[in-house]
Parts: sequence; C-alpha cells; structure tokens
Amino acid sequence: MVSYIKSNKMKHSSIHKDLIFYIDNELSVERRIAVEKHLEECADCRSFLSFLQEEIQIIEKEKKPEVSPFFFTRLSARLEEKQFYQTQSQWVRLAQPAFFSLVLLAGIYGGLKLGSNASSPKVNQQTTSSIQMLNDFAAEPIESFLLDEL
Amino acid sequence: MDEAQLINGIQQGDHKSFQILVETYQRMVVNTCLGIVHNKADAEDLAQDVFLEIFRTAENFRGEAKLSTWLYRIATNRSLNLIRNNKRKRFFQSIEETFTGGRNRTSEISENRNDQPDRNITDQQRSDLLHRAIDRLPEKQRIAFTLNKYEELPYQQIAEIMEISLASVESLIHRAKKNLQEQLLDCYKKKCV
Repeated sequence: MVSYIKSNKMKHSSIHKDLIFYIDNELSVERRIAVEKHLEECADCRSFLSFLQEEIQIIEKEKKPEVSPFFFTRLSARLEEKQFYQTQSQWVRLAQPAFFSLVLLAGIYGGLKLGSNASSPKVNQQTTSSIQMLNDFAAEPIESFLLDEL
Repeated sequence: MDEAQLINGIQQGDHKSFQILVETYQRMVVNTCLGIVHNKADAEDLAQDVFLEIFRTAENFRGEAKLSTWLYRIATNRSLNLIRNNKRKRFFQSIEETFTGGRNRTSEISENRNDQPDRNITDQQRSDLLHRAIDRLPEKQRIAFTLNKYEELPYQQIAEIMEISLASVESLIHRAKKNLQEQLLDCYKKKCV
C-alpha cells in the first residue's frame, strides 16, 4: 500500500513536470500516451493541467497589442526635439569654450593692465602729497598760523 | 520598398523612409518589449527609444543581419536595461521605505494595477502570476522564452538575435519552461489564484 502511494506520488510529480511540454505538444508519442492515460485517472493532475493552460493562455491574450494611434506622431516630436538639442548642443559645444577662453584672456589682460597702472601712480601720489605737506609746512610757518588763529 | 532601400533612406535622413519603417515594425517592437516589461506604456516608450536608436545609428547598419533581427536585439537589450534600472530603483526605494515607513509603496502598486482597467480581477491575478513567474527566470531564459512565445519566432532566428547556437536556444527554452512550470505548480499548490 505504501509503495503504491509512493509510486503514485512519483507519477504525479513526473506528470506535473511534463505537462507544460504536453501543452506545447513537445512530448514523444509514448510519453504523450502515458500522460493522457494518467490524466484520465487523476483529477488533481487534470486540474493542474487546466490551471497551466489558463496561465499559458494569458500570453495569447496579451500578444499583439494595439499600438497607440499617436505612436509615430509622438516619435516624430521626440525626434525633432532630439535633433534640435543636438544642433543646439553642437553650437554650445563650440561656443562655450570660445566664450570662456575670451573671458579668461580679458581677465588676464585686465589684471595686467590694472596692475601696471595701479603700482606707479600710487607711489607718485604718495610722494606728491608728502612733498605738498612739506612744502605747505615750509610755506606757512607756525608763527603766522598761530597768529591767524588768534 | 525593401529593407535595403528603407535603411538607405534613413541613412540619408529621409523621414518618409523612417515613417514606413516605424509603421511596419512598431507592433512587433512593442510586443517584444511588452513580453519582457509587462506594461503597455513602458513598452511603447521603449519601442520609441528603439526607433530613435535606429534613426541615430542607421549608418552603422551593414545589412549582414535582417533588419528585424537588429530591431529585436535593440528591443530586448533596452527592455532588460529598464528592468535592471527598475530593480535598482526598487532597491533604493526599499531603503527609503525603511526610513519613511513604506508610505509611498501602495500608491505605486495601485498605479500599476490600473494599467488595464477593463480586465476582471481573476484575469489580472492570473496575468500578475504569470508575469512574476516570467520575471523570476534568468535573463537569457526570459529573452528566449519571450521571443518564442510572444513573437512566435523559430529557434534559428532567436539564435541569431541572441548571438548564440541553436542548441543553446533549445536548452534555454526547455529550462525556461521547466522553471516556469515549477513556479506555477508551487503557486497552484498554495492556491495563489
């Protein structure tokens, strides 16, 4: 009895393994006959077969979907957008380094110019102002200044 | 207009040739992507990416393989890339959820469910079950199985698309069916649907 149950269980699992190939008609003739014979006797395997068939049937239902009627319109819009950005990016690719090089050169030139202008007049200005102060001091003696205050 | 003329036209930037190509192959490309990603909107977006890539790289097409083989190859690669990106996103989302307490997940699931509102719940459940089982297949098995089942392609053409031998395709599809059956049997025993 135990061996019968065991062998029957073995048969179930071996049949279960073959069912997907049975549905796709990929079993040898002998195997196919054996599966069909088992299916006639076994309600559980028949139930699993119908479950499997319904699952595989889902693929048939999903196959060949209706494509959106605006598919090409949307694609054309994306293509145009891409081409626009491509031409734009080509311009940007050329113009950007040129612009930054110019800015850099202008910066360097400006810096040099400012540097050369800024150093000499400052010294001159300082000397002139100190000279002026000295000269003022010389031109206007302290006595006359105090007299003016009074 | 034959394939060579079409490609020649596209290589010269002729929009009419491109339109003919798209109208001839759009259904095939959408169907292939749909078989892998299981979402119509995603499949259409992917199909558009495929055609844009064709337009952009048409000059590289030397005519050694059939145009459809080239299209299938790009379509499967792009679909797999989308799945990989989604997996990456889900991984980061799961990390985020551990901090936010999973508030964003429910809304995403309900969005996916509303993809085909006219289908009844049992059909939807069956379909979800099948998609989950297909998604769990290793990538190569999934591609071979999808091309064979959704596009009804012969093994020889699948071998050309995947650039593998005919024997490898046979083995991949055989293993894919076995794996699929095991998963469905497991679910049948647990009464998932």
